[in-house]
Amino acid sequence: MKPRCSRQLVHNIRHRTLNTASITKDPFNAFEDALIPIQNARPGALSDLSIGVKANIATTSFKTTASSNALRDYVSPMNATVVELLEDAGAQVIGKTNCDEFGMGSLNTNSIHGPVVNPFRPEEQRSAGGSSGGSAAAVAAGLCDAALGTDTGGSVRLPASYCGVVGLKPSYGLLSRWGVVPYADSLDTVGIFAKTVATTRRLFDTLNVHDPRDPTSVSSDARTSSPRNHSTTLRIGIPQECFPRELSNTVTESTRNALANLKAQGAELVPVSLKSLSFSLSAYYVLASAEASSNLARYDGMQYGLKVSPPASADLSDPKAIYAYSRTQGFGSEVTRRILLGAYSLSAEAFDNYFLQAQRVRQHVKNDFDNAFKEVDVLVHPSAIRTAPRLGEPQVGLESYVQDVLTVPASLAGIPAMSVPVSHSEEDGWPIGVSVVGKWGSDALVMKVGEMLER
Amino acid sequence: MSRLFRDGWHIVLGIETHAQINSTQKLFSSAPTSLLAHDSNTRFNAFDAAFPGTLPLLNPKCVLLALRASLALNCRIQNRSTFDRKHYFYPDLPVGYQITQHYAPIAKDGYLELPVSKKRVRIQQVQMEQDTAKSISEPRAHKSHIDLNRSGTGLLEIVTEPDLQSPEEASEYVRALQATLRAVGASDGNMESGSMRCDVNVSVNRSGDPFGTRCEIKNVNSFRYIVGAINFEVDRQIALISSGQAVEQETRGFDHYKWETFKLRSKEDAPDYRYMPDPNLGVLTISQSEITNIRDRLPPLPDAIRSRLLDRYESQGVSVNDVDILMGLDTTRLVPFDGEHSTQDMGAVDYFEQVVDNGRRSAKAVSNWMLNNLLGQLSAHSMEFSSTRVPPEQLGALVDLVTSNTITTASGKLLLRHLVAHPSSASVEQVARSLKLVEDQGDDLSAICQRVVEAMPKEVASFKSGNENVVNRLLGKVMKDTRGRADAHAAKTTLLSLLKSY
Repeated sequence: MKPRCSRQLVHNIRHRTLNTASITKDPFNAFEDALIPIQNARPGALSDLSIGVKANIATTSFKTTASSNALRDYVSPMNATVVELLEDAGAQVIGKTNCDEFGMGSLNTNSIHGPVVNPFRPEEQRSAGGSSGGSAAAVAAGLCDAALGTDTGGSVRLPASYCGVVGLKPSYGLLSRWGVVPYADSLDTVGIFAKTVATTRRLFDTLNVHDPRDPTSVSSDARTSSPRNHSTTLRIGIPQECFPRELSNTVTESTRNALANLKAQGAELVPVSLKSLSFSLSAYYVLASAEASSNLARYDGMQYGLKVSPPASADLSDPKAIYAYSRTQGFGSEVTRRILLGAYSLSAEAFDNYFLQAQRVRQHVKNDFDNAFKEVDVLVHPSAIRTAPRLGEPQVGLESYVQDVLTVPASLAGIPAMSVPVSHSEEDGWPIGVSVVGKWGSDALVMKVGEMLER
Repeated sequence: MSRLFRDGWHIVLGIETHAQINSTQKLFSSAPTSLLAHDSNTRFNAFDAAFPGTLPLLNPKCVLLALRASLALNCRIQNRSTFDRKHYFYPDLPVGYQITQHYAPIAKDGYLELPVSKKRVRIQQVQMEQDTAKSISEPRAHKSHIDLNRSGTGLLEIVTEPDLQSPEEASEYVRALQATLRAVGASDGNMESGSMRCDVNVSVNRSGDPFGTRCEIKNVNSFRYIVGAINFEVDRQIALISSGQAVEQETRGFDHYKWETFKLRSKEDAPDYRYMPDPNLGVLTISQSEITNIRDRLPPLPDAIRSRLLDRYESQGVSVNDVDILMGLDTTRLVPFDGEHSTQDMGAVDYFEQVVDNGRRSAKAVSNWMLNNLLGQLSAHSMEFSSTRVPPEQLGALVDLVTSNTITTASGKLLLRHLVAHPSSASVEQVARSLKLVEDQGDDLSAICQRVVEAMPKEVASFKSGNENVVNRLLGKVMKDTRGRADAHAAKTTLLSLLKSY
C-alpha cells in the first residue's frame, strides 16, 4: 500500500514487530530500550559479533530516538547503511544505545533515558562520557562485542577514554552517514567501539565502502592517502598544545609512559606545534551549532515525531507559533541552547563575524595538521584531561572547554583519530586513554599505532 | 488610468521566474516528479518528507537542463557553483530549509533577445533550487493539508536585470523565456499548472530622476495578470509620488478578482533566511569540455527556428503568419522529460518539415493542408495539434494524391476528414479507394465520356455547328455521373477530343 502521508509511512512501519524481548541485565542504562537475545548467527565475516548501535543511527527494527523527546516513539523507515553492512556481514544488532540528545554533550547526561553509568566501577556512579556513552559502556561492560557511535567533536573518543575501551573516529567520508540522524553534517562521523584494536579493525574493514546514497562518501579508489615517505622509522609527533595546564598529572604520566612504549618499539618522537588549536574550539562551537540549528529545524511535529497540539486559546495564524509547542517540549536545554546559538551565528548580522570566521579558522586548523603530517606520520596525545567524572559532579569552570581541545581539532580537520586505553590512573585507578591522530585516509596506520599501544 | 498620465515617467521592471525543471526525478531525491493530476502524497520519499538520516543526491539530469537553459540564455556558466540552505518555518517545507544557490549560482550574466522588439533583456543569474510542498487550505474547517508531491522538485530561478520598461515588454519577455525553456527541454513553462511562476519588481521615476523605490509583486502567474499587476502597480506608485508621498519598499501580492496589488509585508518584516552553505553537497564543478559538449548539442532555439523557416519557405509562398502559427502550435506541445528527444510525438514544425520532405513537396501546399485543413479537422474533434493522429507520412501521401490529380481537392478534404475521424494504419491510397474517391484510371474516364457523348446527340450536333461551350453541359453530366470524383480538367480534355473526332 502506498503511504498517503508521512505519518502513515511511520504508522505502517510501526506495525512491523519491533524487537522488545530483554534477557540481558543492563544496570548501566547503556541501552535505551530492551536488548534482544543473540540468535543463531548468520554466516559472514562478523557472525561472531554482537553489536550495539547508538540511538541516533536509524534502524527499522528498533526505535531511533536520538535520546530526544522529539523522537521518543520514532521508528525510521530505513536502516542506516552502516547497520545494513554489519548485518550483511553476519553481525547481530542487539539493541540501541543511550546517548546525549542528538549527540550534543560529553557526559551522556542530556538524555530522555537518563544518564549512563560507567560500568568500570558502577558503585562510584561516574559518567561514561558522551555523547556515545551508551555504546562505550555497553562494550566496556561486555553487553556486546562492539558498538557503533557517532563522533562530531569527540563523542566516540572521550567515552572510550572514560570507559577504558578502544574508540575510532575514522576519516570523514569513509563511513556512510546515510541513516545517521544529523547533528552537524560537515563534522559527523560514524565511529567504532571495541575492546581491542583488532576487533575495531574488523568492523572498520566491513564499513569502509563507498555509499552512493551519501554525497560525502568518498569513491572507492580514493579511500586511502599515500604514506609520508618510504622511510621505515615511524615518526610520532607530540603536539605541545595538547598538554594544557589543566591536564591531570596522572594523565601526563600515563601518556609519557605510552610514548616511551612506542619509542621502545622503534618509533621516533618529535615535538610539534599546532598553533591554531587554541582557536579551534570557538570555531567548532560556531560551526556545529549553526549546522545543528539547520538540521534540527525539521522537528516541527508535522510529518513525524512528537506533536504537541497548541492550546485552544493559541493563535493559529502563524505556523511558527504552532511549531513552538512541539519544539519546546521536544528538545532538552542543551539542544535548545545550541539551536539558538547556531541560529544567531547564521543571522545576517552575525554571519560574517561568526560563521565565515569560523570557517576560516577551520581551514587554518587543517593547514596546521597538513604541515605537521609533512614531518610526522601520526600524532599522539592524551584523549582526556582526566578520568571519568562523577555523575552530578558540577563541572569546574572551563574544564569541559579545555577537554574539547583534545578532540575537536581532528573533527574540524576530518582526520582519523582513535583513543586506546593505555593504563589506569595512579590516583583513582580509573582508565586513561591516549589518542592517535593521522592524516586523512591513514586510518590503517592509526590502528597499527593503536595496536603498538596495546602491547 | 490613461497612457497620457504616464508621460514623463519611466517604468523600471525586473522579473524573477521560477520554472520547474522538466525531469522525471526530483532535484535531490529519486522520487518521481508529479503532475497536477496525481493523487496527493503519492510521489515522495523519505528525503522529501525530511526524515532524519536521509541525504541529498544531486540529479545530474537537472544539472544538464539547468546548463542547457543557461546556455540558451547566453549566460556564463560558473565552473564552480555551490548550494546553500535558506531557512524558514512553514508546513510546506518539511525540512525547515530550501536548498538553493544563494552564494554561487550555476550561471550568470546572460541575455535574452526578445523576438519582435529585438530588445536584449540582461539575465543576472540562473540558479537551481528546490520547490516546496503544497499547502491546501480548507478555510471553513480551519485546516490545511500538506501534499508532498511537489516537495523537492527542481526549479530554475531566472533573474533579469531591471531592463524591462512596459507591461507589454514584460509579457513579451516571459513568453520568450517560456519558448526558450521549452525549446531546450528545461521546463514545460506551463503557467496555468504552476510549473512557471513570476515575481515582478516594479519601480517608477520621473524622466531624468534616479530609479524609484521598488516593490516586488509575488506569484503573478499568467500573462494577463502580469500586465494587469504591473499596470495597477505603476499607477499606484505614480499616484503616490505625484501626491508627494513616498513609495515604501515592500512585497505585494496580486488579487486577480479585484485586479489590484496589495501589501504582503514591508521591508522591515523581511525574514532573515540565515543562509548557510549546505554541508552535504559540496562544490558542483562544470568543466569547459562539458559546457562545450552541451552547447554543441543544444536544441535549436525559437528565434533560430523562426528565421530558418522564413529563410527557407517564405520564398515558396509560406507566409510569416503561417510560420508564427506553426511555432505557436509548438508552445503547447509536451516537453519530453530529462531533455530527451521525443521520437513519438514531434512538434508542429518538425511535422511540417517532415511532410515537405526536403522540398519533395510544395511547402505552400503542405502548410495549406496542415494549417487550414488538418488543424480544422482536429479542432472539429476538440483536439489540439498532434503529429500522431494523422502521421506525417499520411498527410504527405494525401498531398501527393491531390497534386498528382489522382483525387480532387474536394476529395482530399473528404479523405482528411475520414483520416482524422478514423485513424488507420492502412495506406492513404487504400483508404481513398475504399471511400471510392479514386476514379479507376484512364479507360474508365474515357468510357464514361464516351457514354455521355453517345447519350447527348443534340449537344454533339450543337458542338459540331460551332457552339464549343456546349462541352460544359457534357462535362456537367460526367461530373454528375461520377458524383464529382472525376478530374474535371481531364474529363474536359477527353470530351473535347471525342467530340472533335466524332
